[in-house]
Amino acid sequence: MISFLPLAGGAFLGWSLGGNDAPNVFGTAVASRIISFRKAALLCSAAIIAGAFLQGQAGLATLGDFVTRQNMTGLTIASIAAATTVTAMTLFRLPVSASQAIVGAISGISLATGTMEWSLLLKVVICWLATPLGAMIIACVVYKLLGFGISQVPMSILTRDKILWSGLLIFGVYGSYALGANNVANATGIFANGRIAGVTDQHLVLLGGVTMALGVITFSKRVMFTVGSGIMPLDAFTSLVAVAAMSFTLHIFAMIGVPVSTSQGIVGAIMGIGLMRGAQAMQFKTLGRIGIGWVLTPLVALILSAASWAIVTPILTPAS
Amino acid sequence: MIFVNKQKKVEGQLDLYRQTVSECYQGFLDAIMRYYQCGDREQLTDDYHKVHKLESRADDIRREIGVMLYSKSIFPESRGDILNLLEMMDKVPNQTESTLGMILTHHIKLPEELRTMIVELLRLGDLCIEALLESAGKLFSDFTSATVAIGKIDQLESDADVVEMNLIEKIFGSAIYSDMQKILLRDVVVNMAGITDKAENAGDRIRVIAAKRMI
Repeated sequence: MISFLPLAGGAFLGWSLGGNDAPNVFGTAVASRIISFRKAALLCSAAIIAGAFLQGQAGLATLGDFVTRQNMTGLTIASIAAATTVTAMTLFRLPVSASQAIVGAISGISLATGTMEWSLLLKVVICWLATPLGAMIIACVVYKLLGFGISQVPMSILTRDKILWSGLLIFGVYGSYALGANNVANATGIFANGRIAGVTDQHLVLLGGVTMALGVITFSKRVMFTVGSGIMPLDAFTSLVAVAAMSFTLHIFAMIGVPVSTSQGIVGAIMGIGLMRGAQAMQFKTLGRIGIGWVLTPLVALILSAASWAIVTPILTPAS
Repeated sequence: MIFVNKQKKVEGQLDLYRQTVSECYQGFLDAIMRYYQCGDREQLTDDYHKVHKLESRADDIRREIGVMLYSKSIFPESRGDILNLLEMMDKVPNQTESTLGMILTHHIKLPEELRTMIVELLRLGDLCIEALLESAGKLFSDFTSATVAIGKIDQLESDADVVEMNLIEKIFGSAIYSDMQKILLRDVVVNMAGITDKAENAGDRIRVIAAKRMI
């Protein structure tokens, strides 16, 4: 029973993360009606579980290091605060960063307890800034290379469609795999390194992967269309470029071991495409809303967790 | 492999459609030439029915392609583009059929003194449709080069406009036709020139379809 509550917090976070971050992978293809939501959700869920189980350990270790000085009560509060923040942002149809939510929530607890790991926080924040920038650069390179490749081979417009359709499926699955590998740490990573008796890291990645998959199936439709068509209208080619760039970026960070945001990856990639195609097609109002969401997410999670800590700990601590 | 077969079927039907549009115009061309040679209305009626059948066949193929496109895994954007293009291309056989139908039902005699210019107008229409069908074919073999022949269509349509103007001027400047004949002949000429206009419109659509897919 003691270990149930932290795990429930992790599961809640995993579910909200799946609902908010998975749309970044298949949102472009679903919004442009290239693949149905049902097919996308099933493919995405399976790949997330595989990614989390097979390559989710590295990010788990990083986040585990980040929280070594927190006790189980603080971590449980942090995971619930982060999940609540991401769920609220999803209800507002904003693609936000679960990494920012969880790090913001842990920072809230750390500030409240005076245990902040500033150097680790700095590393994570640098990666947050690098994610959209990296995705933007990778998107420009993929755009040029893929465009050159397609223009060099004489083909029917139907063959072109088939190539792009296959590419979107392959990169959608790859991106979902990378999402599972990279973001499972955000869901259950804070309980890693044997912090809960009888729960191994393998159990945690499996729990994180499965709950993320559930979030995809039950809660991801809201954000999907914001990503897929809200920032700029995407066709099959630009959808593929966006998903490929985001997947590469995410996988690179997964290998480094830093959990980053698919939201920042996909938005950065779409901005890269905007640079290549002309910025006039971009909906700056939507971008502005997304930017505000990115600033608010860690702040809201921080305030929520710090406030919850302030309320809960006096109740749990027996009066001397 | 299944996808390749489905795509081949669609492309096969599109080839058949292009061939039917070409046959329809050739039928129209032959009908006018024969009418000029012998002025036989029975022959013209037979020729009209042949053209009408080809026009109907083109319609059927277009509808079949529409059904195929909806049942195959093709991007909605491409499906819309192809159906839209076929609708625009379909106006070419429609126009040839209605022009021939007009000559038949209005008992219009094509004057010998206009023959050279009318033949020239029809020759330009022939070249224009050839260029259109070539462009449309390129969309399904090498879409990046589909726009090459579009420039030719624009030029041919422009040349046809000049011939049309000259014909109308000659008709109304002549004293040998009655006012009614003048109006009917003008309508025939405008309808004939309309074929190249329809081809040009379809060519413009091909230009957009190809441009959307260029990087």
